Amino acid sequence: MRSSWIVSNSTLSSQVVDPSIKRADAVPIEVRGLSKRFGAVEAVADLDFTVAPGRITGFLGPNGAGKTTTLRMLLGLVRPTSGTALIGGQRYRDIVDPLRRVGALLEATSFHPARRARDHLRMCALGAHVERARVEEVLEVVGLKDSARRRVGGFSLGMRQRLGLATALLGDPAVLILDEPANGLDPQGIAWLRQFLRYLARQGHTVLVSSHLLAEMAQTVDDVVIIAGGRARASGPLSDLTGRVHLAMRVRTPEADRLQGILHAAHLAYRRLAQDVVVVDGVSAEQLGPLLARSQIVTYELVSQGTDLEAVFLSLTGPGVHPPAATGGTARGVGAPR
Amino acid sequence: MIRAVRAELFKLRTSPGPWVVLCAVLAFSALGIVFTFLVAKGAHHLEFVAPHTQYRLRRLMGAGFVAGGVWMGAIVGVLSVTGEYRHKLMTQSLLVEPRRWKLLLAKALGTALWGVFYAVASLLMVGAMGIPLLVTQGGSLSSLFDQAGAVLPGYFAGFALLALFGAGLGTLIKNQIAAVVTILAITFIIEPIIDGVVPNAGKWLPLAASASIAGGLVRVPDHGALLGAWVAAVVLAGWALVPIVVGYFATFKRDVT
Repeated sequence: MRSSWIVSNSTLSSQVVDPSIKRADAVPIEVRGLSKRFGAVEAVADLDFTVAPGRITGFLGPNGAGKTTTLRMLLGLVRPTSGTALIGGQRYRDIVDPLRRVGALLEATSFHPARRARDHLRMCALGAHVERARVEEVLEVVGLKDSARRRVGGFSLGMRQRLGLATALLGDPAVLILDEPANGLDPQGIAWLRQFLRYLARQGHTVLVSSHLLAEMAQTVDDVVIIAGGRARASGPLSDLTGRVHLAMRVRTPEADRLQGILHAAHLAYRRLAQDVVVVDGVSAEQLGPLLARSQIVTYELVSQGTDLEAVFLSLTGPGVHPPAATGGTARGVGAPR
Repeated sequence: MIRAVRAELFKLRTSPGPWVVLCAVLAFSALGIVFTFLVAKGAHHLEFVAPHTQYRLRRLMGAGFVAGGVWMGAIVGVLSVTGEYRHKLMTQSLLVEPRRWKLLLAKALGTALWGVFYAVASLLMVGAMGIPLLVTQGGSLSSLFDQAGAVLPGYFAGFALLALFGAGLGTLIKNQIAAVVTILAITFIIEPIIDGVVPNAGKWLPLAASASIAGGLVRVPDHGALLGAWVAAVVLAGWALVPIVVGYFATFKRDVT
């Protein structure tokens, strides 16, 4: 399996993803006032966001937040109660040969267990008007070339996930919608996926990725849309969102007493957490690091505290957090490509 | 639409269910051939005799029909639609073809064509097994082939329309086991009972209609009144299309969650 990934990685830039090529057909995803009610349950309520071409947008939310329902409405599988979900200004069901415009990975179980991996892709290619040679290309890309003749029922979750990714890539679409694509992938697979998505974004693809792996998303995405309870809690560039949260740096040093004096003289707020630990509020590593160096403070650790995506996510979706309307916050559209 | 139908045929070709059903069709056809050669002589004695009457020659040609193999076509229709739900394939199918009416139409047409494939397979079995038996038992090949015009068009149509009927039931009843049980119940319980109690109503039922299309196969021609072939074709098409249309609005258009 490892060799497959190596082969895939070596062919990634040369055959399939050429960063010098920009997609002219990339289009935005636009969700406006989208709502879905299942009986008494309001799964999604008045959701608004935009996913811009050339960027990776992370779609985050706790279990039951409405992420999958939203993606399914976007792909025409679930009918919205109200609102619109458009890809390039069109509903998915109105797109001609949709697999050639939009690639989607929704669940790793949507395969006939007795069908061979290559046959699954050929079946989709046949219906989507995609040439047969493309099947071999995507098998190569996701590292399943050697397993193409195996029946999907014998695949591991990670292999199914890669087959789902191959299906999404089959039509060489400009828009990718991926629901938990890293599920079941080994660390090498996750690293490859991150690199692959970055390549696609640089080419100009529009990429919307839902995931629970916040640390992984923080390394991958440009923008985030965070929902909880079916409502948007925040959206925008990742850097803007993390910047909204209170900055703090934790310093572990044997010279904590001397550091306190330096921080006091520099008019910086701080908290002494332990004999050798001081938390400095309102600064970044870039601001505090030079100060420690100039002051020749021996430093064992300099760690960002409460500024990562996880902190943002928990602050927006944790227990007791109310929707933006109640707190005064608003979800806003994701910015234009940088 | 041609592309969508080809994709549906590819789905059937690359899943094991339709091939298992093909084996059943061939087995039923083989049984039908053997039983066509058996003639009752006395209460407890069967004799192996080449068919020579027009009716028995038709039965030999329609061995799949006679032994009930045509109902296997209905079962493949059920598998074609309910398999999408059972294996959660509907999501992927709708991503490829999001227009649901088009997907269902392609599925219905693909299933009907697959039914014709079963008819061909059944006829090949007649050729491979029935003709040598006929020749060795002193039967007449030319007499057999004389019945082809009366039997074959309806034979193909019967297989295709019953496969379509199965697709309709599958659209209406998403649960695969429940849909297959319904097919079997119609074949072996409901239709025989209705036919026995109210023969005039029985001729409008799917199996009777298929028998009428295929030149009076399955039933003795003078048993009750069979429908005319064209009327029977319309009736059987109705049996197929009504559940497809009802199933489309009742289940197929629903959210896929």
